[in-house]
Amino acid sequence: MKIRYNREKVGDGIHFTTIINECQKTNTLIIHLVTELSVETASLNAVIPYVLSGSSDKYKTITELNLKLSELYGAALRGSVSKLGDSQIVSLMAGCINDRYTFDEENITEESAEVLIDCLTNPYVENGGFFECDFNLKKQELLDDIDAEINEKRSYALRRAGETIYKNEPCSVSAKGDRASAERVDFVSAYEQYKKLLETAQIEAIYVGASEPGMVKDIVTERLSGLKRSYKGENHSDFSPLKDEPVHISEQLDVVQSKMVMAFKSDCKNIHAMKLMNAVFGSTPFSKLFLNVREKLSLCYYCASSYNDKKGVMLVDSGVEHANIEKAQAEILNQLEKVKNGEFTDDEINEARLSVINRLRSVNDGARSIADWYFKQSYSGTALSPEDEIQEFYSVKREDIIEAAKSLALDTVYVLTGKESAENE
Amino acid sequence: MNKEVISNSRTGEKYTRIKHRSGLDIYIWRMENYSTTHALFGTKYGSINTKFKTKNEPDFITVPNGIAHYLEHKLFENEDCDVFSLYAKTGASANAYTSFDRTCYLFSTTSNVYKSLEILLNFVQEPYFTEATVLKEQGIIGQEIRMYDDNAGWRVFFNMLQGMYHNHPVKIDIAGTVESIAEINADLLYKCYYTFYNLNNMVLSIAGDVDVDRVLEVCDKCLKPNENIELETAFEYEPDTVCKNEVVQQLEIAVPMFNIGFKAKPESGIELLKAEIETNFVLSLIADESSDFYKKLYDDGLINSTFSSEVFSGDGYFCSIFGGESRNPRLVRDKIIEEINRCKKEGLDEKRFNVIKKSYYGSLIRDLNDAEAVATIMLNSGMEKLSAFDNIEAVAACTFEDVSARLNKQFNTDNVVISIIDPIGGKEEQ
Repeated sequence: MKIRYNREKVGDGIHFTTIINECQKTNTLIIHLVTELSVETASLNAVIPYVLSGSSDKYKTITELNLKLSELYGAALRGSVSKLGDSQIVSLMAGCINDRYTFDEENITEESAEVLIDCLTNPYVENGGFFECDFNLKKQELLDDIDAEINEKRSYALRRAGETIYKNEPCSVSAKGDRASAERVDFVSAYEQYKKLLETAQIEAIYVGASEPGMVKDIVTERLSGLKRSYKGENHSDFSPLKDEPVHISEQLDVVQSKMVMAFKSDCKNIHAMKLMNAVFGSTPFSKLFLNVREKLSLCYYCASSYNDKKGVMLVDSGVEHANIEKAQAEILNQLEKVKNGEFTDDEINEARLSVINRLRSVNDGARSIADWYFKQSYSGTALSPEDEIQEFYSVKREDIIEAAKSLALDTVYVLTGKESAENE
Repeated sequence: MNKEVISNSRTGEKYTRIKHRSGLDIYIWRMENYSTTHALFGTKYGSINTKFKTKNEPDFITVPNGIAHYLEHKLFENEDCDVFSLYAKTGASANAYTSFDRTCYLFSTTSNVYKSLEILLNFVQEPYFTEATVLKEQGIIGQEIRMYDDNAGWRVFFNMLQGMYHNHPVKIDIAGTVESIAEINADLLYKCYYTFYNLNNMVLSIAGDVDVDRVLEVCDKCLKPNENIELETAFEYEPDTVCKNEVVQQLEIAVPMFNIGFKAKPESGIELLKAEIETNFVLSLIADESSDFYKKLYDDGLINSTFSSEVFSGDGYFCSIFGGESRNPRLVRDKIIEEINRCKKEGLDEKRFNVIKKSYYGSLIRDLNDAEAVATIMLNSGMEKLSAFDNIEAVAACTFEDVSARLNKQFNTDNVVISIIDPIGGKEEQ
């Protein structure tokens, strides 16, 4: 499928990206504000998308705003906060069906874009801050979300492990910040931070649709270029430094199944070799980890690796019976040793490559996935298409994979166990 | 072989339905210029189908809970290798899932579609279990069951179903229990396999930039004709009333979670589709984010943005569920009941009905963007003997009067269950 991609500068540190995919039945507009992740501002920034996606000066209540969105054929308006390497990303997204599917050929794409840009640049303000009453509810939601991180034990374990893995780095901070600083946020300080964010953040507006953005681009560009700016420059991430000795930590909670996260660090700059090595080792259901640790030895219900190319870190996360923790850990290390020793076949390489390529080819099909793809390209200062990246994987050789594996060293082992299973030992 | 093109003027979309001579229903939706092809091979067999007979048996037999899911796990193993290893050669990413009323095997790929399809059709038609391989799976499935024991979102839902249903097996965890899976052996697996994996009880659904004739070539080559064994499934008698009004459990979570369910009479076929759509309208009118009721609960701090509602329905069960987090879930329940009664008395808001209709229709159009969603829609509608466009057309045709009637019919406020997960050591406000 042919995708047309274009990114142009429309202001100081502000870019508008157009992605045209004629198959799309929807139009999507995303605006990312990229800033550095820090303990001081993480929660202040995190509450902003909660507030902005719930109202604007024009649609002052959640009821009015949602009624408008329903009229636009259920247009979605979402705010989110996430992290990419050492950066924090505050995002607003609006999506609606193509105008041609409406009952009376209504012009809903432009209107949806207007609602989004209005929420972003013209919030409901009173007494020198966000409208206090709504703000407090949104802040409570942020606090609930921070508290709720414990509900999903797999992601909870990954987050807790991250605090040690990335100790003293921006990346150790959670995208939503910590509870104590979130509690201190108020409607005035959040509003002040919001103004600062619009002034200093890297702004990436991304449109994905079946046809040219037309007026959408004009509306967005006009409003963004009208912002008062003192841009701080592009954001970037650094590889995470390896600890002198691997750190082992454990935590106890009232859970039935234990979780284990192992982090390995590398300074290898050949990220395509790293990604392919990761696929051979543990990211597919025919990888060494899946076939051996899960299927052959039944040590874990899940056991998979993932590679973070912004931080040079490979994580292995697993759900494991408490009694099997040590065995599982030994087997994971054993399988990694095999990759380091070149104990894998050409078939394993080809299968890993096919799997990675399959995933890359499907990137073009989804509005969100293609938007995320090009956003990450912009963040890394590159403009590769998924097809370009596929070519890179063809040039990775067996020796590159071995080198990539050899560059990995154990940094952190985090274990989350049940209280009873730990007491029974 | 019977081939038919089903088209829809509203969306300009079409797909092909084939009744294959093997007994299988095949659905193919060509999505031009898409990179991804998604294929689903499914049987109308899920966790609730534990009691059944065929024309070869005089009486109904009952099998252990969790057997459909167990069978799904075991089919992924061939006599000589794991199915994932076969797909590894084509680059397809494969998976399978078992729900309450179906088991599906799927792949998603951007290359080698027809080769991947061969793998899919072949392995699902070639069961291979021995006592040893069956026994080995108990460890993995036991771990899966225990993992869900920690999952508050899963528990709050099943606890609600346990309060709602006296006998219907929908109240049992899809994977069964550690005890029930211990009763499963190779003979039972073969018995269930040959009963439910009969091609007359199955559907193949493919969406992507594929060629219909080439798909059918692969089907002709791989599908082994099956005799229609006249499968019948049955359920124990289920009263209209709920079993328990309240179920509470404690888990390691932060804010209490709740599911509030209203039990209603089950439906099937096009009546089920109509009931689902109309009930969804009722739920949106009462409590979606543009309702005054939502705002009131939200402003009072009784709910947060996790609050949502849904229809949960299938063979022999139908209910409406409100779920979310709250520090006072029982008060949320009381407010919902109050609001339902108010709407019954004063009527629903017709102006909002028309707005919600656009929004509902928009969400169905959005689904057509994605090969996986399209394949799933064809599979689901195919299994109910409906067209994939019936959903869109039924939403467009739905009237305010239908929805008002549904409110009065479907929401008996005596048949309510609340399930609450409290944080360990904590207690919600009274």
